[in-house]
Amino acid sequence: MYEFQFGPILARMPTVLQGAALTLEFAAASTCIGLLLAVLLAIGRVFGPRPVAWLVTGYVELIRNTPLLVQLYIVFFALPKAGLRLDSNQAAIVALSANLAAYAAEIIRAGLESVPRGQVEAGLSLGLRRGRIIRHVVLAPAIRAIYPALGSQFVLQILGSSLVSAIAAEELTAVSNNVMMETFRNFEVFILAGGLYLAMVLLFRGFFSATGRVLFRWAA
Amino acid sequence: MFNEGRRTVARGALGLLAAGAALMAGRQEARAQTVDELIKKGKLTVAIDTTTPPYASLDNGMQPQGYDIDLARLIGKSLGMAVEFVTVNSPGRIPALLTNRADMVVSIFSITPERAQQVAFSIPYAGQSSVLIAPKSRSIQEFKDLSGLKVAVTRGAMEDIVLTNQARTTPGIGILRFDDYPSTAQAMLSGQVDAMGGGDYGDIYLKKSASGDEFEQKFALHAFHFGVGIRRGNPDLLHWLNTFIYFNKNNGALNELSMKWRKMPLIDLPTF
Repeated sequence: MYEFQFGPILARMPTVLQGAALTLEFAAASTCIGLLLAVLLAIGRVFGPRPVAWLVTGYVELIRNTPLLVQLYIVFFALPKAGLRLDSNQAAIVALSANLAAYAAEIIRAGLESVPRGQVEAGLSLGLRRGRIIRHVVLAPAIRAIYPALGSQFVLQILGSSLVSAIAAEELTAVSNNVMMETFRNFEVFILAGGLYLAMVLLFRGFFSATGRVLFRWAA
Repeated sequence: MFNEGRRTVARGALGLLAAGAALMAGRQEARAQTVDELIKKGKLTVAIDTTTPPYASLDNGMQPQGYDIDLARLIGKSLGMAVEFVTVNSPGRIPALLTNRADMVVSIFSITPERAQQVAFSIPYAGQSSVLIAPKSRSIQEFKDLSGLKVAVTRGAMEDIVLTNQARTTPGIGILRFDDYPSTAQAMLSGQVDAMGGGDYGDIYLKKSASGDEFEQKFALHAFHFGVGIRRGNPDLLHWLNTFIYFNKNNGALNELSMKWRKMPLIDLPTF
C-alpha cells in the first residue's frame, strides 16, 4: 500500500507556486499577443486581397497541422542559427502566441462570417453609417458569438503551456518535475500539479462566464 | 547515451519486482558458487545489456561487442573457459544473478550500497564521470567561473544534482533543465547555453555535429565506477575477481580496453 507523504512537497510549495505564476504569465501574454495577431489574420483572410488571404491560410494550416512541441523546438533551437536568440521564456511566449494566433484567427473568421448578410443590409436600409455598421451590426454580435470559444483558448493555453518545460522554461510542469527528482514523491507531486492546473482552469472558466454574462447582457 | 545515475532508482525498483516474480515462479534458488565449482562447470555465463555502447552493443553481424564484452572474454580466458552471453536489460541485471541465469553481470554495473544489499560487487574495473563541457574558447576551470553563465543539464541526472547544489553556494549560475540528453546537447550546439553537464564521453554526441570540435571537457562533476556483480555469499569467487582486476589494471590491459572503446585513458579507479 502506497503511503502518501506530502510533507516534502509542501516544503517546496513557494517554488511550485512560482511555477504556477509563470504558467499564468505564459497563458496571459500569449493570449494577448496571439489574439492581436489573430484579429489581423482574420481580417486579412476575410477582407484582404487574394494573395493576403492565401498567405494567411498557409500560416494557419502550417501552425494547426504541426505539433506545438516542434514549433517550440524550432523557435528555441533553430532560430538562433538564423540570428534570433530568444531565452526560454521569450521563446515560450513567441511559440505559444504564434500557435494561438492560428487557432484564434479561425474562430474570429467564423465569427465574422456568422453575421448574416441580411443584417448588414438591414443596417444600410436604416441609414446607418459604415463605421456604425461594422461596430454595432457586425463586430458586436460576432464577438458575442466567439467569446466562449476564445475563453476556451485561454484555458487551452494554460494547459498547453505545460509543454514549454521541454525548452527549459520553469513553469508549473517543469518545477513539478524538479520537485519529483528531488523528493521522489512522484504521486504527490502529480496530484499537487494536477490540482493547481484544475484550480486555475476552473477559476478562469468561472471568471470568463461571469464576465460574459455582464458584457453580453443586451443579448438576452 | 547511457545515463546511469538517473535511471538507478526506478530500475532498481523494477529489478526487485522482476526478481521477486522470477523467484516465486519457482526458479532455482540462488546459491553461491566457488571458483572450483565454476571451473568444474566449464562455462562462464555473463549477463550483458547490449544497448549500452560503447560498453556493450551488437555489431553488424548481431554479435555483442564493446568494453564490457571484451572484459567478460578476458575473464573467461583467464579462467580457461568459454563465455556464454545472456542478454538482459538494465533492471534485469540483479534478477539474472539471483535466479542463476548468469554467473556474473558485466554491464556498466555502478557500485551502490543499495544494490550491494542484493549482489556482491568486485572492485571497479572501469568508470566514467559526469563532466562540464563548454566551448574551447571559454575559459572555465572551476565552479565559480560559471557565475553569470547559463548551463544546460538533463533533469535529474547526476550533472543536475551536482550543479544545482553548487548553484546554491555560487550565485549567478543559471541552470536550464532539459528532459533528455539530445535536448541538452542541442541547447549547447545552438548557443542557447554557455556550458553543459554530460557524460565524460558525452561530447561524442557533440562531435557528430558540424561544430562539434569547438567543445571540450572542462572538469569532472562526479565519478561512477563499474564493478563485476556476482551472487552474494561467495568470498572465494569475489576474491578471485578482485585479484583478476588488480592484475589487469597493473599490466595495462584495462587501459587498453579504455583506449579502444572510450578513446581515453583509464580513469583513476579506487579499490575497496
